[in-house]
Amino acid sequence: MRVSTRGAYLNSLLAMQKLQQALDYTQRQISSGRRILTPSDDPIAASRSIQMVETISRLEQFDRNSTLALNRLSQEESALNSVNNVVQRVRELGLQANNATQSDESRGLIAVEMRELLDELVQLANQQDGNGRYIFSGNLDQTRPVSRSGSTFTYHGDQSQRIIQIGEGRQVADGHPGSRVFFEIRNGNGIFQISPAASNLGTGLSGEGSVVDPTAYDRDTYTFTMLTDTTYQVVDSSGGVVDSGTYETGDTITFSGIEFSITGQPVSGDEFTVAPSQNQDIFSIVDQLSTALEQSITDDASRAALNNAVNSGLLGLDQALGKVLDIRTEIGSRLAAIDNQVNLNANTILGLQTALSDLQDLDYAEAVSRLSAEAATLEAAQASFVRTQQLSLFNYF
Amino acid sequence: MPDLLGTSLTGMLAFQRALQLTSHNIANANTPGYSRQVAEFTSRIGGGSGQNYVGGGTQIASIKRMYDSLLVNQLQTAQTGLARFGALNSLSSRMDTLLADADTGLSASMQNFFNAVQDVANDPSNTTIRQAMLGEADGIAARFRTLDQQLNTQEKEVSDRLRLAVDDINRISGQIAEVNDLIAREGVGAQPNDLLDRRDQLVLELSGLIAVSTAEQDDGTLSVFIGSGRSLVIGIDAQRLGIRGDEFDPTRATIVYEGAGATAPLDASLSGGVVGGLLEFRTRMLDPARQTLGQTAAALALQFNTQHQSGLDLRGNLGGDFFGIDPPQILYSSGNTGSPSAVAQVADLGAYTGANYVLEFDGAGYTLTREDSGEVIPMTGTGTAGDPFVADGITIEVGGSPAAGDRMLIRTGHGAAASMQTLIDDPRSVALASPTRSSASLGNIGDATISTPITVDADDPGLLTSAVIEFTSATTYTINGGATVYTYTDGDPILINGNEVTINGSPTAGDQFTIEANLGASGDNGNGLLLANLQSLGLLENGAISINESYGQLIAGVGATAYQIQEGFEAQDVVFRNAEDAVLSKSAVNLDEEAANLVRFQQAYQASAQVVNVTKQLFDSLLAATSR
Repeated sequence: MRVSTRGAYLNSLLAMQKLQQALDYTQRQISSGRRILTPSDDPIAASRSIQMVETISRLEQFDRNSTLALNRLSQEESALNSVNNVVQRVRELGLQANNATQSDESRGLIAVEMRELLDELVQLANQQDGNGRYIFSGNLDQTRPVSRSGSTFTYHGDQSQRIIQIGEGRQVADGHPGSRVFFEIRNGNGIFQISPAASNLGTGLSGEGSVVDPTAYDRDTYTFTMLTDTTYQVVDSSGGVVDSGTYETGDTITFSGIEFSITGQPVSGDEFTVAPSQNQDIFSIVDQLSTALEQSITDDASRAALNNAVNSGLLGLDQALGKVLDIRTEIGSRLAAIDNQVNLNANTILGLQTALSDLQDLDYAEAVSRLSAEAATLEAAQASFVRTQQLSLFNYF
Repeated sequence: MPDLLGTSLTGMLAFQRALQLTSHNIANANTPGYSRQVAEFTSRIGGGSGQNYVGGGTQIASIKRMYDSLLVNQLQTAQTGLARFGALNSLSSRMDTLLADADTGLSASMQNFFNAVQDVANDPSNTTIRQAMLGEADGIAARFRTLDQQLNTQEKEVSDRLRLAVDDINRISGQIAEVNDLIAREGVGAQPNDLLDRRDQLVLELSGLIAVSTAEQDDGTLSVFIGSGRSLVIGIDAQRLGIRGDEFDPTRATIVYEGAGATAPLDASLSGGVVGGLLEFRTRMLDPARQTLGQTAAALALQFNTQHQSGLDLRGNLGGDFFGIDPPQILYSSGNTGSPSAVAQVADLGAYTGANYVLEFDGAGYTLTREDSGEVIPMTGTGTAGDPFVADGITIEVGGSPAAGDRMLIRTGHGAAASMQTLIDDPRSVALASPTRSSASLGNIGDATISTPITVDADDPGLLTSAVIEFTSATTYTINGGATVYTYTDGDPILINGNEVTINGSPTAGDQFTIEANLGASGDNGNGLLLANLQSLGLLENGAISINESYGQLIAGVGATAYQIQEGFEAQDVVFRNAEDAVLSKSAVNLDEEAANLVRFQQAYQASAQVVNVTKQLFDSLLAATSR
């Protein structure tokens, strides 16, 4: 093919420009460390890497959410630990006070300590986090959850709990409303409660009782009455007699799927009410227990009243401890779930980052050797350009 | 003897001219479009004597232009292709970088915004975090506006460059007509080589602006045609192209043919060259990108607003509009004879496309046509305020007094991103709480629990009214003590005032559950979680595409097109270089060749001159022989 002077010149120039472009591209790749400099270099990889960066950012946000939930649950857990210790101490004091060797005065001293523990309990329920927000008032986190008026304790929070997103489609609540922790403590054995009438004259003590046949138990309110000093009968709320017999201390009384026993010696006219359990609050339990301890014992009947009150209080405290344990267990499983999710997120992030690096990061060894090759080619092109441009027949004129 | 002198003289004259030609070639070694010229020698017929003929020297029969019209045509075609891809490539790569770059793109702002929504959902009563979320909301709105503005700048640039290109086309076509004139004056059969080169060069330049076809006429003039056979140059007359504003949008430049008396729109028929590349970029990349960007912005704004309106703010009020965005733009045709009017709204994100539509009145009714596909979209409704037209997720209400043939352009996505802004500046007005909450009375004896209410109808006027569900037996309940007794089934949804709750477990007569306005719940993030969720919630295309995916598709689409264009550009570059090489190889000057010719013609001239010397000596010998 015929070569024109202008064509030869243009071609060498163009070739050198191409080489310079390639060199510049490689150089920019090396200085940025990225394989893809503009999205059109590899549009599929570019759009995939954008998605990956977004997913990573989202997962990292979930991690921040998890940390927050973890902190809040740990804070709640530590508050509940204190609640548990206080309630345990109240329980020990109750047992101690129930002892027949205690005098009115020593029981009074125990009651004083118990009331201090009650104050502490209220403070724990009204605990605030580092930002001044109440941790046990549900979502009304700027409302003091528990107030006291005399012996009435009122809950002002709501029954909601805040949900935190800790993973794609994975949520966890970051606390419990105070209503659940402190106010929803079932009295009695959790199903029903046996309470002596205040007018009882005998020394009858009720046990906690239990359900033996859940299908037969109908949650009606029953009344156990001593007809004479030795016979009793049980009537339901509409006056129908469901059980009757001769009273022996400690005998099991069974009717309507439940059983319980009464010990001691109730006298004619003494009554015990068997009613379905209701919610009571932990503060009232402690308050009522303290009040019972403050009563002086004058006769067997008042001792029986004390014993009944202490038993009922201890039963309530056990329910409360059970509640706290339940909630702490729940917190434990939430913490474990968060841990799992954080690990899962971390693994996903690691996988994505590896894939992202494969997509967009530069293979330096390859790039550097490409750079040397391109530089060598450019040098050769420049050298040959200078040589060929010097060749001219006119040089020999 | 005089014959001898005459013969040598023809040689000297011919070689002198050949040397002159070589010098012309050397001088034009670097002139673009120059075709080297070669003298063709033929011998002169001499006088005869008897049967023996002796020639009469040499002559230059013609000065040939080394030229191959096929190669030149190929070069013009290649130039058209290269210029088209060049214009496309420079614009598309910038757009690609703009949209997908981590610093200028939408992706990072979008992620930051939704992360901020999650942060605020984590800690809803913290006004500092609320403020930070509003900051990120401003950020995403500003990013939408900036991106649209940058795309708008590109659109303006396309218009400006079209204007310049049309000026160039008019200038070049005028010059071609002038050269035609000069060539025609040379007469039929003349070979004004340098004029022909100049004309070819002008056509090549014109090919870089627009695809042309040419036809050489008998009188030596060249006719130039563009588009679908419209003449740009005929003989010595050049037609002009002009720029007009678009029928609907005066800022959008379109090319018209300014023929005798009337102008005709040309855009659709033009291809190739810078003009073809610019027009193609505008319809193939810029319009869809602005539409998708607007669609994404509208989807985010409208859906976020809807969700935000179903939450309670820190003051206990239902949320207002969070983002502001303009409704679809209505542009009226400059050719309208009546005065139609229309108002459009995005009503259904699932069917909403972001596309442009032309609404045309035919004297009796309206027809809606999608602008990019030309597809007629069926509309339901009658176009009144009470019963608007509904098509592709848009409602259109028409009015005014339209005349038959009146047209309106409805831009449902184009430019929407430019109007995006946050309407809330008080952090306490961000509605993060659920509107209602539920609770079980602490005095309940049964073990039944109530779920958190789900807002199923945020527009229910009684949404925030308290309602008490009271059980009258283990299996029946009343609402607010009303007379109606409902039957309780464990776990069945109960719908009250737009709230849905479920009650599980065994209630006892007298048990109460309350649903009430979620006042004071500064720690509630119920609505905040739903807001954060919108990022990955399917909204567009009947719920198949989330806001994130919509933008991701835009980036991927633009990236893929930009990639194709870049590949096309590189391929076309090779085609052009080959065509150019072929032309240069055929036509351009080789200095070594000219140097050799210089030597050759110089020697031939010297030899011819030597013949004069020999003639002189012969004459001298003759004189010497006869002078005695």
